[in-house]
Amino acid sequence: MSLSIPLRRASPPNPSIPRIQCRHATLIRRPKRPYTFTQLVTLSDGSTYTQRTTSPAPVYKSTKDTRNTPLWNPSSQKLLNMESDDSGKLRAFRDKFGRGWDASRMQERDEDVDREEGEAEVEGRGEMEEDNLMDLISGYGQEAEEKGEAAGSRKAKERSGKGKGGER
Amino acid sequence: MLQAAPWRRKSYQCLYSTRKTSTFNGMTELSEDVVPESSLQVPGPSEEHIQRFNPIARSKRRRSQLPPSRYQFRPPRYYRGPLHPHQPPPPSSPASRLFVPGPFSLPRLEQTYHSTLAPDLLTLMYTHHPPGTLPGPSGPRLRSWDGSSPYHKNRPLRAPRGSPVLPLLRRPITFKNIPRLEKIHVHSFLKDAGVDMQYLHVAGMVLQAITNARAKVFKAKHSIANFHLRKGNPCAVVEVVMPRIKEYKGVSGRSGDSSGDIGWGFSPEIVGAFPEVEINYDAYPPRMIPGIDIVCCTTATNDKDARLLLSSMGVPFYGKHIN
Repeated sequence: MSLSIPLRRASPPNPSIPRIQCRHATLIRRPKRPYTFTQLVTLSDGSTYTQRTTSPAPVYKSTKDTRNTPLWNPSSQKLLNMESDDSGKLRAFRDKFGRGWDASRMQERDEDVDREEGEAEVEGRGEMEEDNLMDLISGYGQEAEEKGEAAGSRKAKERSGKGKGGER
Repeated sequence: MLQAAPWRRKSYQCLYSTRKTSTFNGMTELSEDVVPESSLQVPGPSEEHIQRFNPIARSKRRRSQLPPSRYQFRPPRYYRGPLHPHQPPPPSSPASRLFVPGPFSLPRLEQTYHSTLAPDLLTLMYTHHPPGTLPGPSGPRLRSWDGSSPYHKNRPLRAPRGSPVLPLLRRPITFKNIPRLEKIHVHSFLKDAGVDMQYLHVAGMVLQAITNARAKVFKAKHSIANFHLRKGNPCAVVEVVMPRIKEYKGVSGRSGDSSGDIGWGFSPEIVGAFPEVEINYDAYPPRMIPGIDIVCCTTATNDKDARLLLSSMGVPFYGKHIN
């Protein structure tokens, strides 16, 4: 008997909706675009650029980026010697005991005897770097040719006076 | 219009007369079946109508303007199939509902690419053949059967050694086909979204914040994946986000699908370090921030070129490079 009773619907069927399957209209939705702000990004070396971003801050100042990370600057001695003090332990130690125990200070004390020589060395290092750069620019192709004497060859020439003294 | 009208009337008379003669020739049963009315046989506009038709004069006679809807084209709200007479305009048309205006800015990476990277890449990838000489013949891409068996006859050629997939051809790089960054997929697979929809919403918001575009949800069979597509640049990723990762070595040299698309992943902690997420970090439940996969699709046809392009943009690679 229960079969003869028609099943009740939750809501009456909408007569306007056709029962047969057909090609319905597809709503063309407007694409949603989040609002973007113009942001000035300041990198750690001071260089800036603007970008459109969802972040509402007008200026973003980064403390760590490609300009001061050793992975992107493998040749930078300054970055390689930089100590990482993320947990602040080193700072706490220095607050307590001062900077006398720093590795650089200890080295200075050792080198205090021959300071003049050290200064000369620093100067020399600067010259060496410049020379290396010049070699890179000028003699990139002749690397194999001048193997072994790439660095400092120009300096040697300068030292030799007018270049007639010798090849080296 | 004026010239066409008499001709149309003449043709109508002509058709009418032929139909008459066909009945005389004993074709009555056929012409009974065929509906005689045709849109072609409708007489054209009458002479009086043509004389009256003057839209310019009519518009000049009009005192006030027409309602704005008569001047402005409104695209249909619904697409009703290719056979419907009222078709929506293409998405490139400003009238289209799908139209996205822009671009309104020239990103720094794009400027750098066109001014610096593209010429450098061309220099690195270009192979010069002196005029008059031709590059040597390239080997066959498909192997032939050795003929040791009689069944080898008429077989299709063998697939290359190692994999059944033919690798893409590397065309000679010229100024016209320098590899460039085509698009970046940012993708996040959320296995917990099946249990808690909150994960989906959080991931959508994070991806939107990072990429400036609305995320699309793709449902997998058992769990839910969030997927997102963007045409853009990885400027912030490379400049700001990657250096912040502790003990970061770079992207694995093994990454890539051997057809110029290179991808890598970021863990949830790194996603939290994106400046766009960081500024509003409290808005996201910290446990629900998803890890994301980033796939850089380039127009290069092999991984070597794609890696060169990406590393010129600043993406570091480590390990053995597998092409």
